[in-house]
Amino acid sequence: MKTQAAVLAGAALLAASSTALAQKASQSAGNRKRQGQDELIEVLKKEDSPRKARVDALRVLAQVGDRACVPVVAPLLRDEELADMARYAVEPIPDPAVDEALRAVVAEAQGRPLVGAIASLGVRRDVKAVPALAAKLADADAQVAVAAAKSLGCIGTAAAAQALRDALPKTTGVAQAAVVEGLFRAAESLAALGQRPAAAEVYETLAKAAPLACAKDVAAKRAESLRKA
Amino acid sequence: MTDPVSTADGTAAKGQTRRDCLKTAALAGAAFAVPTIVPASALGRDGAVAPSERITMAGVGLGPRGQFVFDWMAVEPDVRFVAIADVQKSRREEVKARIDKKNGDQDCKTYADFEEMLATRPDIDAVLIATGDRWHAQAAIRAMRLGKDVYSEKPSSMTVAEGRAVVDAAKRYGRIYQTGTQRLSEGPFRTIIELARSGKLGKVHTVRAHIAPWDSADLSHAWLPEEPQPPQDEVNWDAWLGGCPWRPFNSGYIKGGWRGHYDFHTSCIGEWGAHTFAQGQAGIDALDTSAIEYSYVKNVSGDGMETAFASGVKMILQREGWRGSCGMTFEGDEGSASCADGYEKPDVSSPALMAEGEKLLAEYVEKTGRPMNHVRDFFDCVKSRRWTVANPEVMHRTMTTVHAANVCMWLKRDVHFDPVREEFVGDAEANRFLTRAQRAPWII
Repeated sequence: MKTQAAVLAGAALLAASSTALAQKASQSAGNRKRQGQDELIEVLKKEDSPRKARVDALRVLAQVGDRACVPVVAPLLRDEELADMARYAVEPIPDPAVDEALRAVVAEAQGRPLVGAIASLGVRRDVKAVPALAAKLADADAQVAVAAAKSLGCIGTAAAAQALRDALPKTTGVAQAAVVEGLFRAAESLAALGQRPAAAEVYETLAKAAPLACAKDVAAKRAESLRKA
Repeated sequence: MTDPVSTADGTAAKGQTRRDCLKTAALAGAAFAVPTIVPASALGRDGAVAPSERITMAGVGLGPRGQFVFDWMAVEPDVRFVAIADVQKSRREEVKARIDKKNGDQDCKTYADFEEMLATRPDIDAVLIATGDRWHAQAAIRAMRLGKDVYSEKPSSMTVAEGRAVVDAAKRYGRIYQTGTQRLSEGPFRTIIELARSGKLGKVHTVRAHIAPWDSADLSHAWLPEEPQPPQDEVNWDAWLGGCPWRPFNSGYIKGGWRGHYDFHTSCIGEWGAHTFAQGQAGIDALDTSAIEYSYVKNVSGDGMETAFASGVKMILQREGWRGSCGMTFEGDEGSASCADGYEKPDVSSPALMAEGEKLLAEYVEKTGRPMNHVRDFFDCVKSRRWTVANPEVMHRTMTTVHAANVCMWLKRDVHFDPVREEFVGDAEANRFLTRAQRAPWII
């Protein structure tokens, strides 16, 4: 297709100039960090900082924060009022310290902070979280089980997919719908990694046991396509 | 891997029948009420459409715009609304009265929780979503996962990641989705799109796209003053916020004052760009990609921002230049064509182009079978399972151009986007805007 060819040509041009662009962008980000992060951390450390000031600090950290802010933000991941904004701040920070902090929340927290931490681990595709998330698939809190299913799907390893396949016949209602969603995500991840037989197996599970006919039909077609490839 | 539906222009007419998803039990297993006395019209007699051909609809968050679209949809003979979900009680009751008046009964059911409605009503084929912008993708994704087709008001997403999630949901569940970018189905706009696509303007080098002239790209993070929160049954504030960061209640938000706030709006660029970028990208056959270069302009709105596609075509954002709203101009090396709301016919650079345009429009309708009626296109596609003119991929790609233009304005510098990887090129700072952590438990 004409447009696709043009896109690929453009992407090649962009790749050629990406080093220079990365340097320029990095300098800009670096300046903002130097100017902002220490000040933002101080706002969070001050016990008398108003909620709005803390929220604003966490919002900006989502743009400029790095590993240095994680020790200060991590305790807020359990805070009923600020847990979501704490995740907002650290979820995009590409540092393993964030994953460790989120996994600690999953081990200890309940309710919305727990649901949020599970979701963020999925967004970050934290493979180390798979055992803990698999255990949450049977959680009595439906929102926890739903979040775990979606996140396991995002992580999309063979172990994550197996946990979801095991959970499919044991769940009902919204939890089962989340497991279906997780299985689609996992199958797509496996296929993208070149693990076609494993992906096809996941789709075949969906084709047999998904509660909606439309999901079964798509899964069956995708399984067939993978088996033929 | 091939998907049952996968092309940007929706020409792959495969998939399931709309009733396929109803063959198995509803997720929550709840039966829906059957009226004791069934009027003849409901059974397809008296010239009415038979139930097997009828598309059963529900509304989600229908304010003034949503009620306008409801009125537009409700005149279609094969469409019947049976339920409304809204977090605001007054809106639920207002829309129920409207639906009941149209149906001539009192049967429209109301729901405070739209997911409960979707999970317990296997009779509902499709939903009209007209919430505030923050909920468009969130509601559409949830509805498609529960087997419903979706007509959603624009914009289709708040972030690049959210837009991709809408595409994924439509493909995973084989659902039909249309965004309310209705100018893609209006004769004058479609005429200039086809003039550009056909080469009648020569090689198109520049597209001019209207952005809303009353607002700013510089969105607010301020909170409106806190007011006493109403009882949950009147306004479920937690659900109204959904995945957005918490803030205290203020009645201004629920009366439309959410616009201009970063958490809820896509700025003056998204306000009209959701329409005009789609029109522009349709005219240059760029519905499966996004602009790759964005040049920062030192003003509050992005007026004059120049974007460029990999093909070399420029798209320039403008606050002025037309006699109506949502204007669009294509400039080629052999001619130009322009249109905006209120134009009976497009402005073209030569009289001959008008005749060519009329011919091209007729050919487009004949070749594609698409009506010049956006909601009818949706209903036709619900039945045929062909993707709509404003399908998820089209809207994701055009909204990606919107989002990247906003990021350019927020960072106050040029940015470069890779439409294949769907990320900014070597730009960690800009890439932090690709997604936003969602508030628990409103996580897709």
